[in-house]
Amino acid sequence: MGALGFYFDMQACIGCRTCQIACKDKNNLPIGVLFREIKKFETGVFPKSNSYNISYSCNHCEEAKCVKGCPTGAMHYGADGTVQHDPDLCIGCQYCIMNCPYSVPQLLPERNIIGKCDSCIDLRNAGQNPACVDACLMRCLHFGDLDELRKEYGEELVNALPILPSPDITKPSLLISPKTCALESSFTELEV
Amino acid sequence: MGNFINKIMSKTVTRRNFIAASAAGTTALGLAGCGSNSLNLLNDAKIVDLEKEGEWIAAACWHNCGGRCVNKALVVDGVVVRQKTDDNHEDSPDYPQQRGCLRGRSQRQQVFGADRLKYPMKRKHWEPGGGNKELRGKDEWERISWDEALDYIANELKRVKNEYGNRSILHIGGWSSRITDISSTLGLFGGYCEYWNTNSFGSWAMAPKLYGFMQQGIWDQTVNDRFDLRNCDTIIMLSMNPAWSAMGSASWHYLQAKKAGAKFIGIDPFYNESFSLLEAEWIPVRPSTDVALLLAIAYVLITKDEPVLNPLIDWDFLHRCTVGFDAEHMPEGVDPNGNFKDYVLGTFDGFPKTPEWASEICGVSSLQIEKLALEFGKNRKVAFLCGMASARSKNSDNLPQLIMTIGAMTGHMGKSGHMTGSTMHATSGNGGPALVCAGSNGLPAIPNPVDDSINAGEVWNAVLEGKYNFTGSGDFTSEDQYKAGEIRDIDINVIYHSGGATLQTSDGMAKGIEAHRKVDLVVSHSQFLTTNSKYADIVLPVITEWEKFGGFDGGTLVHSSNREIIITYSQITEPLYEAKSDQWIAVELAKKLGLDPKKAFPFDEKQQYFNELASITVIDEDGKTYGPLVTISQDDIKELGVTGQPQNGKITYKEFKENGVYQVKRYQGDNYGYIAYEDFVKDPQQNPLDTESGKLEIYSRNLADTINAMGFSKIEPIPTYIKVIDGYEDTYKDWATKEKGEFPYQLINPHYLRRSHSVFDNVKWLQEAWANPVFLNPKDAKENGIAKGDTVLITSQYGKILRNASLTELLRPGVIALPHGSWADVDEKTGIDHGGADNILSGQTPTGQGVSGFNTVIVRIEKYNGARLISDVEKPSKIVL
Ligand code: SF4
Ligand code: SF4
Repeated sequence: MGALGFYFDMQACIGCRTCQIACKDKNNLPIGVLFREIKKFETGVFPKSNSYNISYSCNHCEEAKCVKGCPTGAMHYGADGTVQHDPDLCIGCQYCIMNCPYSVPQLLPERNIIGKCDSCIDLRNAGQNPACVDACLMRCLHFGDLDELRKEYGEELVNALPILPSPDITKPSLLISPKTCALESSFTELEV
Repeated sequence: MGNFINKIMSKTVTRRNFIAASAAGTTALGLAGCGSNSLNLLNDAKIVDLEKEGEWIAAACWHNCGGRCVNKALVVDGVVVRQKTDDNHEDSPDYPQQRGCLRGRSQRQQVFGADRLKYPMKRKHWEPGGGNKELRGKDEWERISWDEALDYIANELKRVKNEYGNRSILHIGGWSSRITDISSTLGLFGGYCEYWNTNSFGSWAMAPKLYGFMQQGIWDQTVNDRFDLRNCDTIIMLSMNPAWSAMGSASWHYLQAKKAGAKFIGIDPFYNESFSLLEAEWIPVRPSTDVALLLAIAYVLITKDEPVLNPLIDWDFLHRCTVGFDAEHMPEGVDPNGNFKDYVLGTFDGFPKTPEWASEICGVSSLQIEKLALEFGKNRKVAFLCGMASARSKNSDNLPQLIMTIGAMTGHMGKSGHMTGSTMHATSGNGGPALVCAGSNGLPAIPNPVDDSINAGEVWNAVLEGKYNFTGSGDFTSEDQYKAGEIRDIDINVIYHSGGATLQTSDGMAKGIEAHRKVDLVVSHSQFLTTNSKYADIVLPVITEWEKFGGFDGGTLVHSSNREIIITYSQITEPLYEAKSDQWIAVELAKKLGLDPKKAFPFDEKQQYFNELASITVIDEDGKTYGPLVTISQDDIKELGVTGQPQNGKITYKEFKENGVYQVKRYQGDNYGYIAYEDFVKDPQQNPLDTESGKLEIYSRNLADTINAMGFSKIEPIPTYIKVIDGYEDTYKDWATKEKGEFPYQLINPHYLRRSHSVFDNVKWLQEAWANPVFLNPKDAKENGIAKGDTVLITSQYGKILRNASLTELLRPGVIALPHGSWADVDEKTGIDHGGADNILSGQTPTGQGVSGFNTVIVRIEKYNGARLISDVEKPSKIVL
């Protein structure tokens, strides 16, 4: 059995941010805190320009730097191998924010503790999917055993892209079906 | 809800209730004290526990968004703690779940927003006759009782009626003045002046019917059903971006066509999200120049067609199914020299409509035009799909006719894998008759005894100047709206907004504000301080659909759903604060006016709900016959407390209510497919169209006569190039020498996912997700000294707005893309709108069939000297009282 993580079909994503809102709703997040976020990038110059989106959240890395750097053990591996966070142990030191190359952990300012995507472990334990997965209009998000996901969605899936930090740092449990233009080394982030 | 507030106030909440409170209650009830801190408590609560204690209820999502989706709210102790979407059945491309978008999923943020209007309000300096009218939009608000509010309105309506007559009351109900509950009350009161608008449809609103280019009605024009999209070789998309303007399953359907092997071509100034998704080849045309481009395509088709070696044109189709293409196929009694082919070739005017000619106007190279023309060739299976954006341009009345002409020339109509026409909004990519048809609430229609009706493109000028061009009445769907024009005097003294967001979404908002500052009384029903309400005197807080007993969405209604579903929803919460239903207001106002409300509302809202429920029909598996949808038992009727008969349908009332939807199960080989024009194209003699000739009219006398008689602008019976007011040519001071003018850029208004037109624009979660910049090409930005993120001042001949710059190579240089629908926030000192409202920049210039020219605006841009705009999400919510 492989690690558990998200599969993202970039080729189908329209960048609508429904997943972001479903996540905000499920986790009831205040403004300024996003556990799932979408960014749009463009490549090339008019009229040969192109674009792609990425919807990302915690990658539940196999060698999670946030877990490693957490002095209290608040950031830890859950029984299923996903990266979990215990608010009662969190002292708000923010080492995890500094250590995560993906800038995933977020400070919840009102409580001065950290929060992040827990892969909707409560829903999953109850036999449901993470909220973002069931929300996606283009059915681009799936969560599960990466080996199984690879079998279903093809061996060409990647976890490295020019826009992402090197997967060597944390071994992210992430599979992306990239658009060709997302493999280009030169890109600009586009605010929409 | 009231009960819940008490619990919070008396601090007797249990921890769980407190958590629930934080979910909705704080933003909801403005309990700022325990608000933001408690928000995060929910992170420690387990949603699944709440699921056990609460109930999922099918919730409404009722907007003008281009979707109709399943929405469910998890209600715990009367508080909504979470939402979800369709999970009624397994999901597949053929039988997809009706998943809701980001806006629908933010619905609880809107319904329970801290900025909900709580009480009836009066502008402090309003008094009968108007008071200090100039203060509209900047005055203070005073809380008043319902009784006071209705008295003020009733007395002023009576006074104005006595002094000036009913026609001086301008009643606006959104897309039609006749559809709201107040329409009935004012109808009984002796009538009102109507407002009409071609709305989102632009030139598709009426004209296509005249020349045979409408099959199912305005919403489902002439496109085959979604399964047939997958049979196309090439899908050419003109001026459309379903990924931003048709939520629900539209983009998902187009993706299935791509997966089945279709090649996509996208024609638009923006390489938009849909083109990117479908990896479309891009034809970066300038705004409002599609007619020039398509005329050149016709030219290439005509001049390059060789029936044996290079067959591009379907001559048989043209011969059998159309009139007006060439001299041999002109209608009786007209000059054969006026045919389309000779116009394109320049036979008589000495001016062929070549790609070189078109290129100068539309900005697409002549080579690319030639290549594109060949893609239409008759031997491929082509879908020529058009959104309506480029028809929301001035002088565009012959654009749909030209689209039809190209489709007819190449025979892409009436067969599987071939289709030509407009497709947008809820029906995008899925043509055909509704498989489920909405019911009727059974209320009597109360006629409007007054026949005045003013077009959106001149309504504010009419209020200010007292004159307008009367062209009949009804709304854009009525035949009676497009009669010969007649200049009439009009003296508007009351503006009554009983629905819609007209001041915000009609052409010429700056003039609109002036008009609102002229009349004696402005009334507005709303849930928030919308632009309509901001400039009103008396604002009446109305409930949302979540506060009603229940209702339905979709199934042949305007703003309908896709053809396969009907949505039903139930009450989620008691009415918030003092908000009332529109119908309650209509009834109480009728009483104050001394009228009998029973004439308009003979039975209550629950009975109306039941009538609608019982009269929904659904198609049978045979794909032909329709029967009742819902099985209703005697017990249901008793429980509802209504009068009615039990009936048998396909789903029980209980299950329907619980699922929140009925969806016809589609599968390969079902009987629900649709090929537009199939019978007509097989045998045009036996199945004539509803036109003068019974055929598709490339020459349409009726079109030219109708539009020319209306009197807004002129048009020919065949599609010809007409110079567009405020179009590309007007960006030049001198077109011949190519000296640029004062307003050198063209501005378009893409639909934007932060909101549905203007609805939802106040929701912070959505503001955070979509920042609403203005899009500029880096080249244009650089030429004007603008860097990424700079605040840009955009000026048109009508107004000025600010937005922060987002620079993108996905937009053609020379074109500015300003997202549509942002709420105006005018700085009274400078007159500059900090909200970035598109219609501050548009003017009052109706053309053709009364088309609003939202996408024909010319502007200049510069870096703003004042303070940089803060992002919208950082601005405080507009909380009044
Ligand atoms: S909901 Fe799906 S399509 Fe929309 S942004 Fe998220 S991943 Fe992309
Ligand atoms: S598309 Fe419309 S109906 Fe569907 S969820 Fe979005 S806002 Fe609601």
